[in-house]
Amino acid sequence: MNAVGSSPRRGGGYGRVTGHQEYLADIKLPDALHVKLVTLECARARINAIDSTEAEQVPGVHFVMTAADLPDPMPRFGPQFQDRPVIAVGETKYHGEPVAAVAAETKDAAEEAALLVKVDYTKLEDGIFSVADALAPDAVLVQDPALRGASSFAQTNIIDEKHFGWGDIDDQEAHLVVEDSFQFPMVTHFAIEPHGFMAAPDGDGIEVWSTIQHPYLLQKIMAKMLDLPLSKVRVHAPDPGGGFGGKQIPKFEPLVAFMALRAGRPVRLVLSLDETFQQVRRSSAEIRVRAGFTAEGVFTFMDIETNFLVGAYVDIADRVVSKSSYSGAGPYRIPAVKIIGRTILSHTTPSTAFRGFGIPQIGWARESLIDEAALQLGIDRLQIRLLNLARYKEPFIPSEEADGDWEQTVRTAAKRIGWGDPLPPNRGRGIAVGLKSGPTTGLSYSTVRLLYDGSAMVYAGTSDMGQGARTIFAQITAEELGVPLDDITVVMGDTSVVPYDQQTSASRSSVLMGTAVQRACFEIQGKVRAMAAKLYNVDEGDIKVDQGRLLLPDREFSVVDVMQEALAPLGGEVIGNGEMRKDKEPDHPLGGTAAFFEFNCTASEVEVDMETGHVTLVKHVTVGDVGKALNPLQVTMQDDGAAIMGLGHTLMEHYIFDNEGRVRNIGAIDYRILTSMDLPLDLHSESVENADGPGPYGIKGVSEGSLLVTAPAVGAAVREATGKIIRDLPLTPQRVWEALQEDENGS
Amino acid sequence: MNRTLTIETTINGRRRSLDVAVNHTLLDVLRDDIDLTGTKECCVVGECGACTVIIDGRPMNSCLMLAVEIDGSEVTTVEGLELEEGLSPLQGAFLDEGATQCGFCIPGQLMAATALLQQNPDPTVEEIQEGLAGNLCRCAGYEQITKAVLAAARGVKQ
Amino acid sequence: MNRFQYARPETVGEAVALLEEHGDDARLLAGGTDLVIELRNRWVEPKVVIDLKRIPDLAPAIVERDGFLSISASTVMTDIAEDERVQRYFPALVESAVVVGSVQIRARATMAGNICNGSPAADTAPPLLVYDAVVVVAGSDGERRVPIDDFIVGPGKTALQRGELVTAIELPIPERPYGAAYTRLTRRRGTDLASITLCAGVDADGQARIAYGSVGPRAFLVEDESGILGDSTIPSEDKIDSLDQIFYRASPSLKSLRASPDYRLAMLRVLGARALETAIGRLTKELVS
Repeated sequence: MNAVGSSPRRGGGYGRVTGHQEYLADIKLPDALHVKLVTLECARARINAIDSTEAEQVPGVHFVMTAADLPDPMPRFGPQFQDRPVIAVGETKYHGEPVAAVAAETKDAAEEAALLVKVDYTKLEDGIFSVADALAPDAVLVQDPALRGASSFAQTNIIDEKHFGWGDIDDQEAHLVVEDSFQFPMVTHFAIEPHGFMAAPDGDGIEVWSTIQHPYLLQKIMAKMLDLPLSKVRVHAPDPGGGFGGKQIPKFEPLVAFMALRAGRPVRLVLSLDETFQQVRRSSAEIRVRAGFTAEGVFTFMDIETNFLVGAYVDIADRVVSKSSYSGAGPYRIPAVKIIGRTILSHTTPSTAFRGFGIPQIGWARESLIDEAALQLGIDRLQIRLLNLARYKEPFIPSEEADGDWEQTVRTAAKRIGWGDPLPPNRGRGIAVGLKSGPTTGLSYSTVRLLYDGSAMVYAGTSDMGQGARTIFAQITAEELGVPLDDITVVMGDTSVVPYDQQTSASRSSVLMGTAVQRACFEIQGKVRAMAAKLYNVDEGDIKVDQGRLLLPDREFSVVDVMQEALAPLGGEVIGNGEMRKDKEPDHPLGGTAAFFEFNCTASEVEVDMETGHVTLVKHVTVGDVGKALNPLQVTMQDDGAAIMGLGHTLMEHYIFDNEGRVRNIGAIDYRILTSMDLPLDLHSESVENADGPGPYGIKGVSEGSLLVTAPAVGAAVREATGKIIRDLPLTPQRVWEALQEDENGS
Repeated sequence: MNRTLTIETTINGRRRSLDVAVNHTLLDVLRDDIDLTGTKECCVVGECGACTVIIDGRPMNSCLMLAVEIDGSEVTTVEGLELEEGLSPLQGAFLDEGATQCGFCIPGQLMAATALLQQNPDPTVEEIQEGLAGNLCRCAGYEQITKAVLAAARGVKQ
Repeated sequence: MNRFQYARPETVGEAVALLEEHGDDARLLAGGTDLVIELRNRWVEPKVVIDLKRIPDLAPAIVERDGFLSISASTVMTDIAEDERVQRYFPALVESAVVVGSVQIRARATMAGNICNGSPAADTAPPLLVYDAVVVVAGSDGERRVPIDDFIVGPGKTALQRGELVTAIELPIPERPYGAAYTRLTRRRGTDLASITLCAGVDADGQARIAYGSVGPRAFLVEDESGILGDSTIPSEDKIDSLDQIFYRASPSLKSLRASPDYRLAMLRVLGARALETAIGRLTKELVS
């Protein structure tokens, strides 16, 4: 069995190509009430009164839930700060925040009634929609200081300010100092599956269904809010139809749970795509970078100040800020670094985790600035990166060392893009390197059952939201137990059935849950080895296990054959449990070193239509250091997909606000992402494999690398083609054209 | 003139007589009334293609038509693609080429691709990209989807 | 969607009667690719939706008669783009029909609906203007034929009176060689609503006209007064002033999400020059053949 390194058909694939895969919205709970949210046409408003009388007269409507129907004080929740109310109380803080929720027998009745809920509200004029708004001396406070505890920033819109660095940047001499500021806009996840939530009373407990990536976090939050033991909260998490980080953190699960308890029946809330757009996004950022170089192009210092504009509730955004700021200086050898990252509240859609977790924002600024330095120093843009890049095992942050041959990755990308080859007119190339910390803590449990007939069940609490975790865990099991892939079922998505997993994020699952699965298989191997020792009267120590085979001194058996012989005639099964724990390191600035780094080099060649500003992607290359590609096709799928998503962020995606804080381009018509006709003419993803990762078989995490530095690679290519530097994304035709109209003085 | 109407239609080869609300879309009726949930709801403005079905040989967005409009028509949804002997060549190619990731857009992609191959059994890459431009994939498996359609076309030709 | 009644008339007369009866409370349903969105968002809340697709006289058909190519009201974009006569006589119309939405949309959306919806960005409007299309309108007093330039009025507005509907759009088949080309400005290559729609036409005498949309309340048709735009011997850079004359009616919205007024005005020039070049090229080819 050589399951590792192969690319079998995806686990769960049959359901996905036949329409039988059950996503959340496809699950019909008998007798469920339908929920429709009531929202206001502005971001910040004072709620004076809500009159549901007329709405409740619509036939089929059961009730309209408002803050008045919930406990006082309003229960609040969140992964870092307990700041998000179950439903808006007193004031709305972003466009799309629900103020009431209708429960009715049919979707039609719920929708009709939602239009009849009369909300008396006062638009509040001084909403915070930008970093400048938030930091103005007379800015209104987005959050009540009473919710902020002892924070020294409680009287401001700053949640926290992170300080990282080493050395003293003021002590460093430099032949050249460059400085510039860049902006990264608000973009949204746009999973094709909109978010959905259902809940049903379950005896003395509750059942919750959600499109969530982190079912066990949801279970914990629900238990706390409803004062139930974990054992009385059952979370069903069907495979999400795309997550990208947007489905990590609970949103309206508590609301539907309270509604289900009130109704005594299941309730169902499936958001529209437009509503989903109003609930999740990536944090925007304004980034100032200053860096010093020797005449040869060697870094002497880097100074980064980043203002992340998060939304009205913190969600996981403060962690986005700390984690991305920590490694914001990139994979370079720099004697002195100073990084400040601020988490700033605003009256906008709460930002959350999003593929890349803050790195695309900082990477855009840092890599663009390095190009500026190279230009001023007259050094090739590839060479300046190679010159400063940390080499294998070299520390690049005091407590972190390079965990791969990054130079090999960069050189591979340069070669694939044809770096240095002559360029036709109106063309340009760019290259950029990016680095993201993998998980800093982790806890995953897996149970594997080797059944009597030689098939196997794998229990893993990871969410398979497209990355193909089912396939990976099946491959590991096949490799270790010698069970054919088709005979392995991977069970996920039910906290009452599947053991605990901390979360599906940070490209962790193959490494962390994969290790737990492998260890569960090892436990089975050990049990079967003991069976073999007994059956064949051999010392256990003389039996080796390799790829599902038991190697005795004079003969060999398959694990399955031995198991069957030992368990006959009653049958039964052999159960293995595996645990993978990455504990907190209290002294580490992030609470733990990264389990691995996702390192990527992206290179791009573009052609610019100098009259219209349209950018054609002639060639786009991403190379990632993956340790080992456990499933090469899935690695390519992740890399291609991340690259294309990154190209969307780079070329066309952004929220456009009006002056009342409403997102004007909600939905699929005016929020543009790449279609099949917008792809690079040549898209190439490649892996560097040195089997030097911490996961099974030397794997590292993948799936975010290819979008970490898409923007600076493409931006640099556009700069070379046009001679113009653009500091704001996206690089829309209009923006490129405007840059082309500027005269040499930049006016 | 009524607010519900009985329509006669053939869905996945099966003749059906359905009482449908006149203000429900075909997508609503497929998913909510007759449990054909393989057809997906996403943008409901005809931009994402997740709700694509084939009506009388042409791919259409089921979110953009009233169910009453299919009276007398023949509808194929993703549930109707599988052949008696198993997955259709296109479905198989989607699995072999890694075209399915989260899978949510896949029913729509399959329907658009099926219609494309019926019209044009030997499409070029550009024709596939054009034919599937109305089907968004945020996992962005476009390269793999295109390869799968090409592979299916080659397989059918052989 | 609100709870409306659904009517399925079988003759134009029945449809007209329904329209007369219900006036603004009625909405016509052809392809529905715009209407269903409006219904779902409750931008319109009609009492009755009148489905035109069961009227034999409006059934999808493209017929040649009396020097016109007549395209019936139920004919969808796919049929128009694939029709060999449309391709031969009206290539710019094909170019506009094939960029209306996706394959799925084009299989459903009708050209009559594209025009009647009254969007300033309607893709087929500029070529229909350049080709001097005529809209055939039926009402209780019978039929009237309205030049497309008079039919298009403003955002959401057409020349249709209460009780009237479009039965066909007719295009005069050019008797002499004619070159025309359609182009548009979008934010991406894949399906998109256009920030500029533009069609240039040049006749055998070198007289040019340009129709452009999405930069004002409706698509405008402007004749080249200078006489130089259609002249293949004059380089593009010498046509800028004349082009600017053409675009005098452009007044792009300040509030648009899709492009700024400055950008749109600048792109009108670029797209105008490019479409003219293509149109002249096509004319030359026709003159030679």
